[in-house]
Amino acid sequence: MSETFDLGVEAMKAQLDAKVASYFSSCVHCGLCAEACLFYTETGDPHYTPIYKLEPMKKIWRREKTFWGKLGASLGMGDELTEQDFADWETLVYDSCTLCGRCSMVCPVGNDITYMIRKQREAFSVAGYAPEGMKEASRRALKFGSPMGVTFKTLQATLSHVEKDTGLTIPVDQQGADYMTLFSSMEIVNFPEYIESIARIFKSAGVSWTISSTAFEATNSGIQIGNKEIAAELVGRVVDAAEGLGVKYVVSPECGHAYTAIRWEGPNLIGRAFNFEVVHILELLEQLQSEGRLKLKSTEQTPLTLHDPCQIVRRGGVVEQPRVLLNSVADNFKEMPDHGVMNWCCGGGGGVSANERAEELRLEVFNRKKRQLDQTGVDTMVTACANCRIILEEGIEHYEMDTEVISLTELMAEHLQE
Amino acid sequence: MIYKRERISRRMGRISFTGLLVFLLLYSLPLEIVAEETKGSREMPSVMVLNPAAELWRDVRQREGGNIGISQVRGVDSGVLINANGDRWRKFRMEQLIPIGGSILVGVFVLLGIFYMVRGKVPIEGGQSDRKLFRYSTYERMIHWFVASIFLFLAITGLILLFGRPVLIPLMGKEAFSVLASACKEGHNLMGPLFLVAVVLIFVRFVRRNIYQKGDLSWLLRGGGIIGNKHVPSNFFNMGEKSMFWLLILVGSLIIASGLVLVFPLFGQGREWMELAHVAHALGALLMIVVIMGHIYIGSVGMEGALEGMTTGYCDLNWAKEHHDHWATEVVERGEDVSNEAVERLRRNEPPSSVQLHLQEHGK
Amino acid sequence: MIGEFIDGPLWNFALTVFVIGVIWRIGSILLSGVRNDLAEPKGSAGSGAFRALFSRFVPERTVTKRGKLQLIAGYAFHLGLFALLFFAQPHIDFFAQRITGFSWPAMPYWAFIVSAELAFAGLIFLWLYRLLNPVTRLLSDLDDHVGSILVFLVMLSGCLALAQSFEVLRLLHLLLAELLLIYFPFSKLMHAFTFVMSRGYTGATMGRKGVNA
Repeated sequence: MSETFDLGVEAMKAQLDAKVASYFSSCVHCGLCAEACLFYTETGDPHYTPIYKLEPMKKIWRREKTFWGKLGASLGMGDELTEQDFADWETLVYDSCTLCGRCSMVCPVGNDITYMIRKQREAFSVAGYAPEGMKEASRRALKFGSPMGVTFKTLQATLSHVEKDTGLTIPVDQQGADYMTLFSSMEIVNFPEYIESIARIFKSAGVSWTISSTAFEATNSGIQIGNKEIAAELVGRVVDAAEGLGVKYVVSPECGHAYTAIRWEGPNLIGRAFNFEVVHILELLEQLQSEGRLKLKSTEQTPLTLHDPCQIVRRGGVVEQPRVLLNSVADNFKEMPDHGVMNWCCGGGGGVSANERAEELRLEVFNRKKRQLDQTGVDTMVTACANCRIILEEGIEHYEMDTEVISLTELMAEHLQE
Repeated sequence: MIYKRERISRRMGRISFTGLLVFLLLYSLPLEIVAEETKGSREMPSVMVLNPAAELWRDVRQREGGNIGISQVRGVDSGVLINANGDRWRKFRMEQLIPIGGSILVGVFVLLGIFYMVRGKVPIEGGQSDRKLFRYSTYERMIHWFVASIFLFLAITGLILLFGRPVLIPLMGKEAFSVLASACKEGHNLMGPLFLVAVVLIFVRFVRRNIYQKGDLSWLLRGGGIIGNKHVPSNFFNMGEKSMFWLLILVGSLIIASGLVLVFPLFGQGREWMELAHVAHALGALLMIVVIMGHIYIGSVGMEGALEGMTTGYCDLNWAKEHHDHWATEVVERGEDVSNEAVERLRRNEPPSSVQLHLQEHGK
Repeated sequence: MIGEFIDGPLWNFALTVFVIGVIWRIGSILLSGVRNDLAEPKGSAGSGAFRALFSRFVPERTVTKRGKLQLIAGYAFHLGLFALLFFAQPHIDFFAQRITGFSWPAMPYWAFIVSAELAFAGLIFLWLYRLLNPVTRLLSDLDDHVGSILVFLVMLSGCLALAQSFEVLRLLHLLLAELLLIYFPFSKLMHAFTFVMSRGYTGATMGRKGVNA
């Protein structure tokens, strides 16, 4: 028994709150969550059943919270959590769950299975059973401020390109601005068009905004690997910067879990409410549009469909805004089957995209997205999450599909009334 | 060595099976004794000259159709106090149905036992292969076991009701049997309608694969391969299975229809209808029980590899080739056969094996 | 002798175990506590919880498409069982005499029969599904089977006693029901109560986020 294992068991015990206790008490092993999980529907392997991924936590719950478990424990019998369990379940917990939350929507007794997997990851990461890719990403995030190792210097280079292309100046560390904007490393490295779009839209709508040189990264590896210390440290940097600059709002970028991290988990991680509000870029755009500050021309004739990023829509509550925005610029917007809060995940959320050994499985389950897209019969897919975007593009390439993926914010910028 | 051990265990199986048969034969002896007794007591009055009952029944039989009186009680047949059909039905039940039906059931059981002793368990000739074919979906297996459990329950309760008087009363006494009989009657009536549901589900799901095809007849002419050692190619279902399916549907419908007539006396059916329904119900059920005994025989001790498809959903490739060659060839041609490991992987209780390596990776 | 025991002391014991056990279980769950959520809500937790409590009775499309069988069997079983439990004449008489002191209208005999058929068909199907479907096979433990079988036996003994003419059969039914009551708080059967909490917690969380779950 190693020391980290004991820490893992302790961490697991610490997760057993009233929600978890009621969820395990209610679960009748009906298996319906499997039908909602793309890892099961695409592979047919029953081990990918969401609630089965929680077997280690269930063991602890049974031992700590139930009559039979306590009886067994006092007699020195019964199932105990072993280190082998951590080893056995690591891939189930990290590789085959994107924390997308579909299972939580279908459970007939109302169990929030995703919530429990997120919590179980806390114990796994403490015990040392997390994928190397995610550990590395967390390490880089702590060291450089970005899971991809993007430093402020890199950002500056990108910003100067954007400034050259648009002829606009991008405000950095501006005291007293209304909005502090965050980006994900993915956007800085792969999709600088996003930054450009933001600059043009904010200029056009007259938004007072800034970027912080100390906290520009929105993603939070701590949330994905399930480590609340790392997560709190990363959220803390943003909070310090925002409160230092005295902004009223922090804008979460087109990134799914970044929104969950800062908007929903953030205050709980640092243990207090923020002195500013957190808005998602889509919420802000929709607000600007309804206030008449964002003037759009409806000219898009290409048939479009929308991929709802799980953390923004199902787990974040930004459901209507992307639709309002899309409908205001596109004449041919077509919903996918199961759209909105029941949308199918791209397969790369919850840190799976940072986990190299999961790639094969991830591409296999992308089949689900492919079918969903095929049913729509549309070749252009709009989304609002840089991670989804990368994963979708990889899947499209792998299956040799003829689909274009575009960012909703960029689409808005293209349709600005000059 | 292993082969020898297998042979020994097979022989042991046969011996214990024979023992079971002997036990059951002994068990059914009381039936014969009771039948003798009732026969004896019925013959006695004929020796005596005076029998008021005989006079009465002669009178009743001679009155043609004029047995209906007038009664204040409203209801079907309420004016009938006595009728000859009822007595005829009673006699049929006591003197023919119970002894003959009982002997047939015991006889078939004994025959199956003898057959097993002669033929033994039909093995998969090529032995178990390393590949499997997907044969029955979860839903198909579910409705199979659904109809099976309902049928067994109805068969057991029905047999208790029919043979309880000669077989069980001598064993457990009248008091206990009256409780058992009441319980069985209520259970039989309540579960009965579910048999209708089950048969409908079976029909809808399996009818397409059970339509007779070319080649079915040659299967029949060659005795289905169970007699002799040659296997005869067949489709997804062979002629025997198809015939059993249609027996279930047709005889099952007769049993269900007559059962409904008996259990829901809401449609003005009178005694004669009930008597007819009862006769049809009993005969149909006895026939079906005999057929199902054969079915269970093949699935359990009669044939290696036959049960697997209905429990796991997958059957062995060699078994399929030997018994359902056309179907097996089709599936293999479509490339839909799977390895034993793949099936095993889906059915195992541990998490996927790729994970097992990680303890070493972590250096622990 | 045994009859009197089943009818009297054992019934009281079973009922006591059931009531105290259920309260204890619910209490211990509530006492585990939930951390106060500091994130600024978008919607109301209360109305989210209330909403989820009822909206989960209506299945999502994924379930109606891929979980049809369980959906139909599940509803048939639960509705049938509830109708039998609370609206069968003998049960109402029993409740009125032993617990409530008042009675309520019973369902007609034909409805009773229909409920029983539905409950039996549903339970048998669900249990077969548990045994045959790879997912439920993997998930199920002893508790699931014991629970299913106990409920089945209670229902079966009840229907065997339908003629209401043998005390032995009534006592058998009562005995099994008592065993079920005693087993209840220690088992998954608790979901009959805790599903309210599960749905409530999830509904509240999602309600705060402005998602209808």
